[in-house]
This record gives sequence, C-alpha cells and structure tokens, in this order.
Amino acid sequence: MNTSTRRKKRVDQLIRSVFLVATLLSASFIIIIVIFIVIKGITPFITNNDGLGVVNVWTFLTGTVWLKGTAFQSNLYSIGFIILNTLYIAFLTLLLSLPVGVLTALFIAKIAPKKLAEFLRTIVELLASIPSIVYGLFGIGIILTFVYNLSSVFGIQSKGGNSVLATVLVLALMTLPTITAISEVAIRSVRKDIEEGSLALGATRTQTNFKVVLTSAKSGIFAAAILGIGRSLGEATAVSLVAGNAKSGPNLGLFDITTTLTSTMLQGLKETTGVDYDIRFSVGIVLMIVILITNFILNAVKKRVGNVNVK
Amino acid sequence: MDKQVFNIMNLDLYYGKFQALKNINLIIEKNKVTALIGPSGCGKSTFLRVLNRMNDLIDDCHISGEVYFHQEDIYREKFDVIDLRTRVGMVFQKPNPFPMNIYDNVAYGPRCQGIKDKDELDKIVDNALKSAALYDEVSNRLKESALSLSGGQQQRLCIARAIAMEPEVILMDEPTSALDPIATLKIEELINDLKEKYTIIIVTHSMQQAARISDNTAFFLTGEIVEMDLTNKIFTTPKNQKTEDYITGRFG
Repeated sequence: MNTSTRRKKRVDQLIRSVFLVATLLSASFIIIIVIFIVIKGITPFITNNDGLGVVNVWTFLTGTVWLKGTAFQSNLYSIGFIILNTLYIAFLTLLLSLPVGVLTALFIAKIAPKKLAEFLRTIVELLASIPSIVYGLFGIGIILTFVYNLSSVFGIQSKGGNSVLATVLVLALMTLPTITAISEVAIRSVRKDIEEGSLALGATRTQTNFKVVLTSAKSGIFAAAILGIGRSLGEATAVSLVAGNAKSGPNLGLFDITTTLTSTMLQGLKETTGVDYDIRFSVGIVLMIVILITNFILNAVKKRVGNVNVK
Repeated sequence: MDKQVFNIMNLDLYYGKFQALKNINLIIEKNKVTALIGPSGCGKSTFLRVLNRMNDLIDDCHISGEVYFHQEDIYREKFDVIDLRTRVGMVFQKPNPFPMNIYDNVAYGPRCQGIKDKDELDKIVDNALKSAALYDEVSNRLKESALSLSGGQQQRLCIARAIAMEPEVILMDEPTSALDPIATLKIEELINDLKEKYTIIIVTHSMQQAARISDNTAFFLTGEIVEMDLTNKIFTTPKNQKTEDYITGRFG
C-alpha cells in the first residue's frame, strides 16, 4: 500500500467519525429533551407538590375544569376537555383544509395553464414557509374581527371573536399550503397512461380528474392529511392568540372560546412556579402521546386505503 | 352497406415543426383487422391516435387533411370528441387498469355515460368480461383490485373495458408488447374472435403477429405509408423493395 492510499483511508475514517459524532449529538438532544419533559411532567403525579398533595392521574386525564380552586392552593388540574378540544379542532380544521387543498392541488396540477400553475406553485411554497406568528397576527387582526361580526349576525356574543371557529380558520390557513403542496405532487405523479385510458373511454376531463386521478393519488393525499393534522395538533403560537383560553369545557360551539393542549402549555408559562409550572410539562407528555397515537391510527388507515395501489 | 369505417385523405401531422405523418391516404374496412407495421418512430402509433383524437392531448400537435369516420370529418370544428371516443375504443401498450376493483374498471365507461342502473351495469360487465375471455378467471372476484391481476389478465381487462362501451372500432397500440408469449397468444385468439363484431386496427412490432391476425397490413416508414394491401400479399409478394427489406428483416 502506498502513502497516498493510506492517507485517503485515514481521511475517510476521520470523516466517518465526524458524521457519527454529529448523529450522536442530534440524537442525544432529542433524547435529552424527551427525558427532561417526562421528568418534569411526572413530578406533579409523584411528589407532594409543596404540601398540596399528589395530582390524581385519572382526574387529570378526564376532568372538565382546568383548575378547581386557585393556583398555588389547589392540585385539582384536569385536561380531559382539552384533549377533546384539541382533537375536535384538528378534525374541523381538516374538514375545511383538506377539500380546499385537494381541489387547489388538482387545479394547479391538471387544469391551470402552465405559467399560472408555476406561479401558483411558488405562492403555495411561499405560504408554507411563513412563520406561525404571522398567521397568528393575521388571525388577531382579521379573523377575530370577522368571527366577531359573524357571531353578531347570529345574535351570539363571542369574546371578541376568540373562538373555536377563529382557531379552526387560522389553523386551516396554516395547513392549507402544506396539504396543497403535497397533494399536488401526488396528483402530478399519477401515471399518464391511466389518465389517457379514462379519456379514451369517452370520459370528460372532469370525470377523469375526479374518478381516476384523485383515486390514483389518494395515498399521497392521505399523507398530506396526516401532515396537516400533525401541524394543527402541534401549533401553539397562533392558536394561543385566537383560542380565548377557556378554563373549562369541552368547548364544542363554534363561537365558544376554547383551549388546546398547546395553548394551555403556553398560557402564563413565564409567570408561574411549582406545580402550576410543572403541570404544563405533563400536558406536553399528553400532547406527544396524542400525536403519536393519531399518527399511528392514520398510518394504519392509510395502509388500508392505499392498498389498492399496490400490485 | 357502408364498408368503409375510416377514410383518411391527405393527412399531414406535425409536432411543432417536425412532420410526423406525411400525406397519409388510407381506408379502413369494416370488421377487418388492419395491422400497422414499421420500425420505431415511423408514426404508426401517432397515426393510431389520430383516429380517436388522442393527439389532442399533445400541446403543439396539429394536423391538416381529412379524417372521415363514416361520413363525418372528425377534425371539423365543434365535432363531439367524447362521442367519437365512445365509438372508437383504445387499448394501450402497457396494461393501464384503473386503481379500482375489476367490476368498477369495466363499468367505468358506461358509468361516465350516465348509466346507473345496477342490473344493466351487471349485464354490461358480464358480457364485456365474457367477450374479452376473462370472465371465467375473474367472475368470483369482481370486487378485488384490478391491480392484483397478472399482466395478461390486466390487458384483457383493458380490452373488456373498451368492449363495455360497445364501440365500432377498437384501436390497439402494441397490446402484447409487455406480455409473455402465452398471454400474447390469448390476446391474439381474442382479436380473432372480436373481429366478428368490431373493426380492429392494431399497431404491432411483431411481423409474425401481423401475419397471424390481420386481414390488411399497412407498412409505415418515416411518416409515410409505403405500401398497403391484403396481409398475405404484403408478406408473400410485396410490391415495394423497402417493404420486402423490412419484412425479411434486412432493416428496422
């Protein structure tokens, strides 16, 4: 072996260890974060909480009032209604953003002239990268006013527009670009000869798009829906600005104020200590579990739905 | 009786500036199998797609000349393309079943035409599958995905799908090129049966296939029809030297 190959080998090994260190570093961060949250989050359930007593896990998971009594004097926290609120809002959001997103995607991929499609694609990508605080501010400035006026039309007094509806609208706006972009890719990758097969049978463009193109792309569209749900479950900033911070629930009326797992975690986080602080990490654990379970279920469903595409 | 199904006169076709078909004149006879042969890129698939106007899908494709389907010029303005495609079916090179179950695949065309009655659809699907010689193999699993079928079965399903529309003409674009010899044989037998009821135009790369199944053969070369005649004449006593060179395998 000559010197040059030996040196190459040494460089190769060095670079490999650099990669290994980088991987270990990022992996350990994730583990450290999870461990930190879990330790903080289980504290209320296993310690005396400065004399207030242990928080009951069952009450915590099923109750309908965030805190019975006053902060620092009570340990009666519950988030049952908040879990329900969170899932309810994610569901309503999807109900709104999935059809709109898929139709937009269909328009961009199949109907719009090339130049317009290119332009719209850029816009959608741009929208997907806007930080959530901007959506939140838009929510406060525009959507709250809109919802407030809308509620007056129905003769309902909403709390300045802070409501389930406002939250759903903001989240729908936020998830729309993601759902559109991913569905569009799925629709564009539908085999051209399948489309031609439909047209050659005398189907119209519209029939082809809805009956063949969308069915062929449904696996990808489902993936888009999963990402959309993930985003609405995990979004905190914008939601906190428009949810209205309800203290009890569940809050199912469209004009009722509400709260989600994320907004509960954020609310007053900086101004509190003791169990009132730690309990927010418990909410964080629940949020992680909710997201894991939702993803698990949706992926199982996706497999069943997508099965027809597999040879 | 009207024995001419298609009558093509002075057809030129361009993709942008490239001329893909040059001065095509051809008559397609009723209830005959017409084979289009020729080397790759000679324009036979392009020509096939002229007949059901699938070339409309290509942006910069334009044609001149006349294509009569019975007495109607299918390229005149305001011609009903949808109606044309229900009367002129097509089977593609690669089997392209829809990602649905077998029944829905066959019922797709009739449903698009607004047929909703369950009994009527059942009848159409049964008949189409029987005509495509697929019924015995799939009758007990009509609700299974079409993609679970073998390649040869998928192609016969695509033929059944076309037959379900009860077209007059079936265009076939190298329907067996993606299939094994046994599946190919089945399709060829099927084509033989189908010509009782349908006019079939088939693009093929296989000389033997053309000789086995067709009544008439047209030989395409660089966008032109070099020779068109009865199949056994083309294969025994071709008039043109180029045709002879091609079918004896000297080029192409």
